[in-house]
This record gives sequence, C-alpha cells and structure tokens, in this order.
Amino acid sequence: MVRPRALVVCGDGINCDAETASALELAGFDSVRSHVTDLLESPAELAEAKLLVIPGGFSFGDEIASCKVLALKIKEKVSDLLHQFVDNGNLVIGICNGFQMLVQMGLLPSSERGAPPVVSLTKNSGGKFMNRWVELVVDHNAPCRFFDLFDTIQLPVRHGEGRLALGAAESEQTIEAVKRNAALRYKEDVNGSFDRIAALSNATGNVLGLMPHPEAFVRWTQHPNWYRERQNNKGEKPEKQDKTAKNSPPPPDIPHGLAILQNAAKMLTVD
Amino acid sequence: MTRASASTKAAKSTSGKNDVQLLCLAVVPQAGFSTKTGSVSFPLYWVQQAGSDRGAESDPKLIEALEQILVDPLQERLLQATPEGRQAWTDDWSKQSFRWWCERQFQPGVTDNLAHTVKEALSLKGVQGDYQIASGTGFLLSGKGANPLDTLKSVEQFSRYRYFHPLTDCFKVHDLASKKTVSDQFLSFPAVHLPTPKPAQTVALNLDDKKLEALSRQRLLALSLSEMQAIRKYFEQAKVKKARKAKKLPEWPTDVELEIIAQTWSEHCKHKIFNATITHTDLAAPGAPQTEQIKSLYKSYIQAATRKLAPERPDLLSVFEDNSGVVSWDDDWAVCFKVETHNSPSALEPYGGALTGILGVNRDILGTGLGAKPIFNTDVFCFAYPSEDLPDRPKLLPAETILNGVRKGVEDGGNKSGIPTVNGAIYFHPGYRAKPLVFCGTGGILPRSINGVSAIQKHTSVKDIIVMAGGRVGKDGVHGATFSSESLHEGSPVSAVQIGDPFTQKRLLDFTIEARDAGLITGITDNGAGGLSSSVGEMARITNGATIELNCVPLKYPGLSDWEIVISESQERMTISTNNFEELQKLASKHNVEVSAIGTFDDSGSFAVTRDGAPVALLDLQFLHDGLPDLELESHWQPIEIVPEVGPPPRELSPILISLLSHQNVCSRESVIRQYDHEVQGMSVIKPLMGPFQQAPCDAAVQKPRFDQDAGLVISNGLCPQLSRFDTHLMAVCAVDEAVRNAICVGADPATIAILDNFCWPDPVASARNPDGKYKLGQLVRACKGLFEAAVTYKAPLISGKDSMKNDFDDGVLRLSIPPTLLVSLIARLPNIGNAVSMEFKGSGDLIYLLAAGKLGLAGSQYEELQGWRSDWLPSLDLAKADALYRRVFHAIRSGWVRSCHDLSEGGLGVALAECVIGSKLGARIDADRVLAAAGIPAGTDANAVALNKRIDLALFAEGPGRLVVSVDPAHQRSWETLFEGYDCYKLGVVEQMGRLRVLSAVGKPVLDMTADGLAFAWKPALPFDRERQE
Repeated sequence: MVRPRALVVCGDGINCDAETASALELAGFDSVRSHVTDLLESPAELAEAKLLVIPGGFSFGDEIASCKVLALKIKEKVSDLLHQFVDNGNLVIGICNGFQMLVQMGLLPSSERGAPPVVSLTKNSGGKFMNRWVELVVDHNAPCRFFDLFDTIQLPVRHGEGRLALGAAESEQTIEAVKRNAALRYKEDVNGSFDRIAALSNATGNVLGLMPHPEAFVRWTQHPNWYRERQNNKGEKPEKQDKTAKNSPPPPDIPHGLAILQNAAKMLTVD
Repeated sequence: MTRASASTKAAKSTSGKNDVQLLCLAVVPQAGFSTKTGSVSFPLYWVQQAGSDRGAESDPKLIEALEQILVDPLQERLLQATPEGRQAWTDDWSKQSFRWWCERQFQPGVTDNLAHTVKEALSLKGVQGDYQIASGTGFLLSGKGANPLDTLKSVEQFSRYRYFHPLTDCFKVHDLASKKTVSDQFLSFPAVHLPTPKPAQTVALNLDDKKLEALSRQRLLALSLSEMQAIRKYFEQAKVKKARKAKKLPEWPTDVELEIIAQTWSEHCKHKIFNATITHTDLAAPGAPQTEQIKSLYKSYIQAATRKLAPERPDLLSVFEDNSGVVSWDDDWAVCFKVETHNSPSALEPYGGALTGILGVNRDILGTGLGAKPIFNTDVFCFAYPSEDLPDRPKLLPAETILNGVRKGVEDGGNKSGIPTVNGAIYFHPGYRAKPLVFCGTGGILPRSINGVSAIQKHTSVKDIIVMAGGRVGKDGVHGATFSSESLHEGSPVSAVQIGDPFTQKRLLDFTIEARDAGLITGITDNGAGGLSSSVGEMARITNGATIELNCVPLKYPGLSDWEIVISESQERMTISTNNFEELQKLASKHNVEVSAIGTFDDSGSFAVTRDGAPVALLDLQFLHDGLPDLELESHWQPIEIVPEVGPPPRELSPILISLLSHQNVCSRESVIRQYDHEVQGMSVIKPLMGPFQQAPCDAAVQKPRFDQDAGLVISNGLCPQLSRFDTHLMAVCAVDEAVRNAICVGADPATIAILDNFCWPDPVASARNPDGKYKLGQLVRACKGLFEAAVTYKAPLISGKDSMKNDFDDGVLRLSIPPTLLVSLIARLPNIGNAVSMEFKGSGDLIYLLAAGKLGLAGSQYEELQGWRSDWLPSLDLAKADALYRRVFHAIRSGWVRSCHDLSEGGLGVALAECVIGSKLGARIDADRVLAAAGIPAGTDANAVALNKRIDLALFAEGPGRLVVSVDPAHQRSWETLFEGYDCYKLGVVEQMGRLRVLSAVGKPVLDMTADGLAFAWKPALPFDRERQE
C-alpha cells in the first residue's frame, strides 16, 4: 500500500515539526519536512502531498499576535495554491500555532475564498501560557472525521493564546456555523474559549485546526498517568471502562493522538 | 524622566523638511477600555521614516500594511497620530475615568524583538522605504483604590518594576486631569545617537604599580597588579617589540589588545580561583591545626575524580574540553550537558538576565563538537524570601521583581526556542538577598560522526573561513562580566543590559543543525563572555592562529570602537569555521540567518585583528592563553559553634505538617511548571507533575531522546545550601547524593551517571571589604573535597562545570554574601522507559518501605527553621552504603517490583509521604513505632528531658541524605526483602484506597491523621509568583 505523503512545515520559529513528522510516520504517512522558504519558493512540493500540517511553535516569536506574521508571509505568496489544495479534497491540519495560522489565513472556520474572518485565537482568560493535559469531548455531529472511534480524548494543551473569540458583531447565523464546525470541546473551561471550543474544521471537514497537540500522544508513556492508563486500556482494571461503555464500544487501545493521525491516513486511503 | 533629550528634539523636528518623520500608533480594543480593574494596557508603536520629505502618516500603503499587521480586525482598532496629534488621544482618555496615562518604550539600543518582527512583516507586505520601528506599551490608570495614586511620583513608584525596568525602559507619566499635558512631553523615537568612535588607541604601560592598578580599574579590566605587570613584561620583550614594529603596531598595547587580554584572563574565562595554589589550614583537625598545599582545586578534585573513574567509563567522549560535557548514547549518537549561571545580570534586570542565561547555555550546546541540538532545559533558582526586602538599599531589586522576571525570562527562553523545560528547583534562603542564583542548564544530542568525520571534535584547519552567524554586534554586553552596578546606573544606556531574542536564535539553531549535517561546519563555538575575542581566540588554538577584519563584522548601529566590537557580548551569535562559505551562505539565506566571513584561521601563532587591513591587535596565542600568572591564596576552616536549643515536641503533628507543606521551599511548583512547555519535542516520559491528577511532583525527569529507541535519559539536580553554614563538605556530599537519589527514584542506571558541578560562592579572596575571605575559601576547599569523595564513591564522573565566585552585594555601606552553594546536575541512562517510575502511590495494598543509608539531622532542616530551634545535630551519609543501596533499588525497579519511589528532602519523611498521597489521592497507613525505629535518632534528651529517640515529630520531620520511600507490589515482597537484607530497609505500612495519611501508634491510636484533600490544600497555593496585583 502506498503511504500518503504528508508535508510538515518547519522554520521561522515552528517548534514541533520533528515530533509531528515522526508521529505522522507512525500513523502511516510518508512525511517530509519542508522549510517555509522552500515551500514558498517551490510550491510544487505541495502538489505531491495529500496532507499539509502546520505544527505548533512560536513562529516569529509570536510577536504582535500568535502566528500573525507567518500567516501573512504564506498568504502573500501562496494563498491561491493553498485554497486549491483544500478544494481538491486534500487534508490540512493546523496544530496550536498552526491552528492560529489557519484562522489568520482565512481557512477556518470557512475555507471559502474571500470568507471574512469571524474568529480569533487570543490570550487565555488566565493570561498565562499553560502546559497541561485536558479532557476533550468529541462532537460527532461536526463535519470532520478525525476523531471517530472516541467520545472523549485526552491530549496536552500548550499555549498562551488559545482562547477562541468571536467578533462582537457576529450574527446568530455565523455563531451557529462556528458551533457546528466545532469538532472538540474542552470538558472543563481551561482558557475561556467561546463555547469551550478546542478544535474547528471547515464545513467539508478536510481542514482542521486544534489547540491540543495530537503529536504529543503517540505512545502511552507520554501520558502523565501512563502507568495506570496503559493498564486500564489493556483491560487489567475493568472498573475504569464503565464510564465510557454506555453507548459506544470501548475506545481502542491506542494513544489518542496517534488515533487522530491514523484517522487522517484512513480518510485519504478510503477515498 | 529617564529620557534622553535627543528624542524630544526628534519629535519637535517633524515639521521640518528632509527630516525624520514620526508616526505614533496605539492598538486599542474595539469594545473600548474596560474600567473594571482601574488599569488597562495596550501596545504602542513609533514608526519613523528617514530621509523623506513626506510624513510617514501620509503614506497610505504603509498605514494599510501596518493596520493589517498590527490589528486583530475582530477585536482591535488602530489609532494613528502625528506626535502632536496624540493630544487628541489623551483628551479622549481623560473623559473615561482614567487619571494617568503612562508610556513605556525601550531605551535606545535595547533589543526590541517586537519591532524587528513588525519590520520584517512590513517587508513581507512589500512596503518599501527605510522605516525604523520601536514598540512599547501604554497604560491608563484610574489611580483609585486602597492606595490612591495622586501624584506623578506615586504613579512612577507604583509602576517601577511592575510596568517598566529603569535599566531597559523609558517610562513617562502624564496627568490626564492636568491641562498641561502637551504633546512635546510624550515619548518620541528612541534613536541611538553615538559619537563617531575614535580609532584604536595606544595604552602605555610604563607606569608605576599604583597607576597600573588605577588603569585596570578605570577601564573595567578587572585585572590584578601582578596580571598588569605580566602584560607589561610581555610588551617589553625584544622579540615582541620587533614583531610589532614589523606590523607597524605601537610598542605598547592598543586598547583592542588590552581588552582582549582582560577578557581572556577574566575570572569567568580562566577560573583563576579554582586554578590557584592554596595553602589550606584545617584549624579543627584532631590534635593540632594541619596545613596542606593544594595546587589547583580544579585539577586536584574535579578533574581528578573523573580521571580516576575514566578507565571504567568508555562512554565519556569529551570532558572539560568543549562547551559542554559529552557522553556516548549509542553507537551513532552522543548526548551532552552543560549548566551555566547568570546571577549578576539577573540581579540587575531579571527578565533579560534569565532569558540571556537560557539562550546562552543553549548556544553552549549548539557550540559543542560540530553542533548539538538542544533537547531539554533544566533550571534552578535560588531566591530570597520576599519578606527579606531591604527598601533602604535601592540597588537591591525587590525579591518579587527578581523572581517574576526570572520566571518570565525562562518561560520565553525555553518556550520560544522549542526546548522543553523538564526539571528544576526553586529554593528560598534569606542569604540570596545578596544575589539571586539563576542556574540555566541544557542538554543536547549530536551524531557521533558526520560523513565519516567525528562530530564530537572540531576540525578547524588552516585557511578555513571564520564566520560570524546570527545577530549583529552592538554595545550590549560590553564588559558584561565586569560591569559594576554603579556604572550600570550611570553609564551609557545603550550598553546597559541585554535582552535576548529567542526567535533569531531559533532560526540560528535550525540553520546550524542543517549546516552541520550538510558537512559545512568544520568547527563551531558560541559567542558568550568576551564575545569574538574569546570565541575566535579559543578556536585559534586549534590551528594556532587567526586573523579577523573588523570592517567585515556587521553592526547593529554605527559608533562602536574597535575594542568594543571585539569584546561585545551581543547575543544570538555563533562563530563557525568553514571551508565552503558560499554554500553556508546559501543555506543561511534560506533560514533568514545573517552570516559574515570575518577572517581566516592560520598557523601564525598569533591572534590578529585588523581594521581596513591594518593591524590593531597582534597577540601571541601562547601568551594570551598561558601567560596569566598563578594566583596564590590562603584558606582556613573551623566549624561554627552552636548552643543547641530544641523545644519540646508539639502536641499536634498535623499543624506542623500543614506548615511544612505550605512552606515556600516545599509547596507545589505547579504555577511555575505549567507556564513552561515541558513536552515540546515529544520526548517526555516522566514529567514534572505526573499521576491521575497531574499533581505528583517527580524527583527527576525522563526523556526519550530517540524516537526509534526505548532507552530514556534521566535528568536531575541536587542542592543543599542549608548545610553550608555547618560544613560545606557535608553540603557537597548531600548535593551529589540528592542529584543521584533523585535519578535513582525514577529508575536511572547508577552505572551510567555523569554529573556537572556548579559552584556559586561568596568572594573567597580576602580583602579589606571581605575580611573573612580565607574562611570562605576554606569552605570552598572542603566543598571540593566532599564533591570528590561523593563522585568517586558513586562512580559518577564530572563531565563539565562552572564557577561563579563573586556573589556578593556591596554598595559601600552594606555587604551581603550568599550562602556557599553547589549545584550538582546529573544525566543518566534508563535502559527501558517502560520501567520508569513516578513518585505517587499506585494502588491499595502496596507495601511502603523506607530505605536509608545515612543518619537524620535536625540542623539545617525546614522543621528546625519552622520551630525557631537551634540544633547541632547534623545529618550524615555513609557514601559506600548508599552507593550499594541505590544499585539494589535500580535492580528492583528494573525487575518491576517497585510501584513508586520518592526521595526524602525538605520536611523529611512526613512531607515525602504526604506528597505520595497528594499525587495519588490514595492513602497510607503508617506504623509510628516503625517510623521511630527507622529514624535511628541518637540517644540524648531535649530541654524537657524527653529522650530524642522517642520523639515521633523528629522521626517524621528531621532530614537526612540517603533516604527513599518506596511502595512495592506485595507480590514481590519476598524478593524485595531478600534484596535488602543487611541494609536499613523498614516496612512502614501499606497504601490504602481511602485518601488519608494516617500514622498510628502500636494500639492503633492516630498520631497523625489527615485527608489527601487537606494535604493537597496545604501544599498547593503558597509560591509568591504572579500574585494578583491591586492598585
């Protein structure tokens, strides 16, 4: 079977490119890292890929606002190409700083050309950077398929500007559209995000932005409670599984971040 | 207030043609300012276009671009005005219940990262023109509240260190209630104005001793008389004179040469005290005082320990040679580790000091071998309690200002560089009022060879090009090491303090690693202390010569003297040797990194500096590196006398445990840990906080450096300055033990341990202002002996280290010194990460054991401090026994018998058990008699004639090295107990499902009984970071 090609952007302050590329390999992708400069100078590289990932980090030091300048840099040069990439049904995932970029670039929550910006990712309500693991609730009615197999997932968040905010004058209709595209919500409020939204996709479900880091949970020993979580998932302590056993089958014995990336690979190979 | 007059002039001149144009911007919320808190802040910008007769404000393309760059169109809007036009802003704000309007911007020449980004964004938007940008912050204050702000002075005082730092910022307060706020009082562009520098000057040295010393002082050379004499002697040699004449250099040194020598010979670079010949007298030796001569503490104890252990440690690849110590990881990879201090800069400007500390040690890793990639940071801070502030000593920053600034600096330094901060410590002691200690450590990974060439070594050859990569050279950090606080306050603002630029350095890092892998680097080192003089001067030893041309060194702004260029410590720079500059340059341009060919390596035997091809410095390399005269010092030691005063046991133990848990040296570090990214790079296995509630404070970090392997890298630290006043030998032994024990707790293999030493000492050289210098040196001697013994017994070789020998405060009236401090930092291997163990209890029924290899003590303990007692009962450690014990613990962990393992430190067994409960919310039932038996308290009585060894309070809260609390799977009880036969291994009790910590007497009566939630409540909230501030 041919492994779908994933292109992982690096450079200009992106930090998570190495582990993201490695996680994608684990999930069944053939992943290549491409420096922003190379991508802008020879955009044909993108044509080879089925998945574009903009990993987390502090592009341009996150000065002015998170990912503002990197988005501007890419938008100035290859905006059309990116829209085409999306229109062709390829996948785009923006993680943390990458999510901020997709929003700044106008690819989320709508990837239609010329769609006006309706959301920002701005300073956490606590005012601080925060690294902790959170519980996330999957909305199976949302248009994207990245989180199939799970009702809740656990991943770390590591951001200072992850609060999703709407413009003051947004219509009821727009607000509903944003809510509809919210694929993940924080189980508890962690950063003051509107509707506790942690991830957004576009209406067709092929562009995903999420604040939590799927690439940071691709082996059990990355979980802060891995000693017991791994045992639980192996069924050694069945009492824990009661909680999730209500309506759906038990979650697979697989680190949640890896499952998300594997779903991405599945979406590409099934099509 | 702190404004230079030059910029006011610039603001006034905007009306003139062909002059500087200034545009002022503010980014404000669309919804208007919230008046809830009484204060708001928002970004300010100053944009200036040089050499145009059009006002910047009239360029629509610029305005449009700035609006797109600076504003979130959903939340914010842009205010723009001419300098005079800002009057309209203040008129508006004065109607919104604000009384004060404050502006902050950087001092001229201080690194302004935000402005650099805006400039790059403008060029990405295709905006042409020579625009200069400055960023700042605006503050609007109502002035109302419990302590009303009703004068300019009160606002200024309130804002100092809260909104601005006088060393790096300009700050101006305007009264909105006054009709007198006129525009020419507003801040203008912070332009750097420097006079044209003089060419290199000759400094005659045919002076008498007094004048030589005065010369050293005036030029901030920090050289002693004998060193000045040695320099004079060098220039008096006939062959030197002849060589200089041939190169048309003056007979006496140029200022460039003198500065190069001073930097190379600085305490920072040459470790003069550690290399001195010391006559040490032990006044407490049995019988009569004993005197010995020690030729170099470094060689006798630090290097000697490693030399002794080296035959059994083939994994030591490069020790004490490079910018960090390198050990083998596997056949293809090596790991390296270095810890630096940045104490003085952090004392003056904590944010910039800590930030440049982190970025600096990152560059040490990047400059190891042919370049290593940083994979973790570990940071240890020693602070004074905020209650120790001395407001009448204005040069001592408030403790809270220091600790908040340092914390923020480490956050930005680590997070923005994509390097996880995996482990650390925060320690409070009143003695750090003299100076905070900021230890910044980084580990890295590098391939053992590239294209068949060893990447552990440097291969710089004759004719290789000398390349400066990264940032440009400015006045920042000139005389970084020798700057006195006096000159910092009154000197030129542009050379004051440095702020790092993590983004530029991240680009430099990515570039360096790619260049290394492409085989474009033959040698590399960082530009830290001493700048180019040090980096090129060091690398020149490989080929035995180097020449640099100052015209080729890119500057941040004109106006630097030649000597300043050579010794400037401007950040984010690496010095690289290459044999393919063209390819290197191509790669650099892809990464947006500036590289400049500034000279060539040769085998001339000298370090030469030219300006326009004409030499301004020519120094014999051997003299430069080995010409430093030896230092001779005397030391003595004798223990302090203590009159013990230990009160009766408390009636209730739970209030004691609560007080200890909430003590600033014990309580949860969560608020700090959460603000550091500790998971980036995806290697994390044991994080700072683990367990089902992410609340279990782990003793050491475990990282997985290679995605394709199961081996883990353990990182830990040990620090015990509370024992220094009793005996620095014990302090050093305990510091090594703590680092080793922390690593053992998570499962490290003791046979793979490598350690770093980091000495931070009060000045140990006696002088009129430092009368007890000999005693402080005696303390240093004893600490080195302790370090040697512990390292050798634990078979833990030292692979790198650092010393900082002047940690005193002295403003001419008051002299304060830090407690002698040794930080031991450790890396080790864990064969399989699946065996790693965290410290919280795992399941009910697990058996709880105490392992011990030493004796408890009360002296120096948190419990002693809490009770206000004075004890001479010191802890002790049986090193050989501890070593054997730890090897058995490793065996038990690898065998899968151990469910949790935690070291006993501040607060003793009581606190350690409480932490295991807090981390798991499980409980423990502990047998008080077993606790007493395990304590091994020596016979004796307290003031009330109560036998000390019957006191459960002492057994629970006294402290000692070599102790671990372990929970063991009951299925393996027999194997475990057999393994520890003949050792001090006590079964204390059992883990329970019910979340309570209970210590029960033989008849089942509770001696201590607290809920897990109660313990957690006491432990959680007490650190003085980021307190909510009210006006």
